[in-house]
Amino acid sequence: MNKKILVCDDDEGILEMMELFLEDAGYEVIAVRESVNVLSEAASRKPNLIILDIWMPVISGDRILRSLRAQEPTASIPVILFSASREGQGIAEREGANGFVSKPFNLDELLQQISEKAS
Amino acid sequence: MPNKTLVCSFVDKTNQGELNNQEIKSILASQDVGEHLFPKALDAANVGVVITDNRLPDNPIIYCNSAFQKLSGYSRAEIMGRNCRFLQREDRNQEERHRIAEAIREGKHLVTEIRNYNKDGMLFYNELYLSPVKNETGVVTHFIGIQNDVTRRRQVELDLQFQRQEAEERLEQRTLALRESEEYMQSIVQTIRESLVVLDKDYNVLSVNNFFLNTFKVTINETKGFNLYELGNGQWNIPHLRRLMEEILPSNNPVLNYEVDHEFPHIGRKLMLLNAHRVELEGEYKDRILLAIEDITERRSIEQRKDDFLTIASHELRTPLTTIQGYTQILSRSLPAGSPERVRSLVGKLSGAVDRLNQLLSELLDMSKIQSGYIQLHKDRVPFDELVAGVAESMQTASPGHNIILEGSSDADVYADESHLVQVISNLIGNAIKYAPDEQRIEIRISRVGDFVKLSVKDYGLGISPADQKHIFERFFRVDKIQKDFPGMGIGLYICEQVIKNHGGTLWVESDLGKGSIFSFTLPVYAEGKEAGHE
Repeated sequence: MNKKILVCDDDEGILEMMELFLEDAGYEVIAVRESVNVLSEAASRKPNLIILDIWMPVISGDRILRSLRAQEPTASIPVILFSASREGQGIAEREGANGFVSKPFNLDELLQQISEKAS
Repeated sequence: MPNKTLVCSFVDKTNQGELNNQEIKSILASQDVGEHLFPKALDAANVGVVITDNRLPDNPIIYCNSAFQKLSGYSRAEIMGRNCRFLQREDRNQEERHRIAEAIREGKHLVTEIRNYNKDGMLFYNELYLSPVKNETGVVTHFIGIQNDVTRRRQVELDLQFQRQEAEERLEQRTLALRESEEYMQSIVQTIRESLVVLDKDYNVLSVNNFFLNTFKVTINETKGFNLYELGNGQWNIPHLRRLMEEILPSNNPVLNYEVDHEFPHIGRKLMLLNAHRVELEGEYKDRILLAIEDITERRSIEQRKDDFLTIASHELRTPLTTIQGYTQILSRSLPAGSPERVRSLVGKLSGAVDRLNQLLSELLDMSKIQSGYIQLHKDRVPFDELVAGVAESMQTASPGHNIILEGSSDADVYADESHLVQVISNLIGNAIKYAPDEQRIEIRISRVGDFVKLSVKDYGLGISPADQKHIFERFFRVDKIQKDFPGMGIGLYICEQVIKNHGGTLWVESDLGKGSIFSFTLPVYAEGKEAGHE
C-alpha cells in the first residue's frame, strides 16, 4: 500500500504541482488548500507524513503543527514545514518540526526528506 | 609771569631759610638784578620767553630769550619787531589764533596750545602762557609769552590716541565678528533638525534649541534649569542611560545611538535616538555635555515597512517560482530516454533561469535587510572545514566543467550563521567559476591563522584592475567591461562583505588583470563562552 502524504498550501499552483510530483513518485496525496481543514483531515485519514506551508491565511503552518502535536492521534505524525522566507528555518527548529524545506525547492531533496521521515 | 616765577623761586629759597626778607628786597632793588641778572636768568630758562609791546602798532616782539631762539630756529635779529603770528606761517585758520587775538584784545591771561613752525618749516606744538602787563592806570602795555615745545608730549598723546582708537576699532570689529559668529552658530543650532540640549556637570539643562522645544512641545521655562532626569514624565531617567551619561565627563566616553522608546507627554509614543558628547572646551564651557536627540520613529517605521514589503514581495514572487521550478524538474524527470537534445537543452535553460531568478530574489532581500541593519544571524557552532567541503562539493557537482581543488584545513569551529556562510562561500566559488570560463582550475585553501580561520578562493580568470578592486565590495558596482558578457546586479560581493563583517571577520581581494583573482576571508575561531561577533 502506498504511503499517504498530506500536503497543505494555500497556493493552488504549488498544491497541484506537489500532487502531480508526489503521485508520480508513488505516494498517495491528500491535498488540502484550506489550512483549517488540516487537523480534521489528518485525524481522519492518518497520513504517514504531513507537509505544511508556514505562511497561510487563517491558521499558519507552525500553529497547525502545535495543534497536531497537542492531540492524539496526530501527535506522532512527522511534519515537514516549508516556506519561501528565510525565517522559516528558525521557526521549524523552534516548533520542533521533523524537517524544513525552503521554497523554491529541489524535488529530489524533498523526496529524500520524505522517504527518510515518513512513518 | 617769569618775574613771578623767579620771585617764587627766591621765596622758596627763603622758606628754606637761606635768605631773609631784607636781603631779597635788597637784591631786587639793586641795579644788577634789573640790568644783568634778570636777562641772564631768562636766558638760562629752558622755556621760550617773549615780550611784546602792546603800545606799538601790531604788538611787535621786543624781547626773546635764548630758549625761544632755539625753539623757533630764528636768531634774535630775525625775531625782534615781528608779530608772534609769524610762527604760524600759512596755518592761520587755527581756532587757537582767534583765542589769542581775543585775549590780547581784552587784555586777559590765556593758556593754549598752538601749532607753530620753526625756521626749517618743521611743525612743533607750542604750549603758550600769555600774560598781560598793565601800568598803574590799568592799561595793557606789554604781553609776556612763555613758550614750551610740547611736540614730543603731543606726539605721544597723538600716538596714544591713535593706538587707543585703533584698539577700540579692533575691539569693535572683533566684537562684531564674535557677535556675527555667535549669531551664525545660533542660526545653525536653531535651524538644525535635531534636538540639542546642553547640560552642566550635574545634568541640569543650560540651554536647548528651538527644535527641542518644538519636538517635545514644551516651553523654555519648563526646561531650562531643570535636571535632565526630571524633564517631562522622567523619560530620560533610565538607569542604564544614567550610568552611560555619568561616564561621559570622567572618561570622555560618548553615549552613542542610545534608543529610547517611550510614551512622552504631549507627543505620545516615540522612538528617540540619543547621542551625548563632552564639550571639548576649557574655561567657562568646561565640563558640559551636548546631548543630541533625534526622533527616529518615522524613519524606523519606514524601514520596517520597506523591510516588510520586501519580505512579502519576495515571498509572493517565490510562490509562483516554486511552481515553475517544480514543473521544470518534473518535466526534466519525465523526458523519455531518447528525447531530442534540443528539448533537453531547453529544459536545462529554463531550470537555469529559474535558479538565477531565485538567487536574485534572495540577494535583494538580503541587501534590503543589511541596509536597514536588520540582517538576522542565527549563529551556532559550525565546523568550518566540513562546511567548506560541503559547499565545494555541491558547487563541483553543479559545474562539472571546472575542477575545484580543496586544500588545507583549520580543524576549527566558527560561531556563524550557517546559511549565510554557505551563501558567502557559494558566491565566491560561483564568481570564480563565472569569471574564469576558460580556466578549469579553481583552488580553495583553508588555513588557521592565530585565532582566525582563513579561506581563499583562487581562480585563473579575468582578474580585476586595481581601480576596480577598490569598488567591487560596493553596492551595485559592476566592472563596465564585463557587464555585457556577465550580467548581474553587483550586490553579491557587497552582501558577502557585510555578512563576513557581521561575523567579526574581514573579506578582501588580491588580483592581477588577465591573470586571475584570490578572494579571501577570515573569521574568528569559536571559543567556549566567548562567541566572537555574537549579536
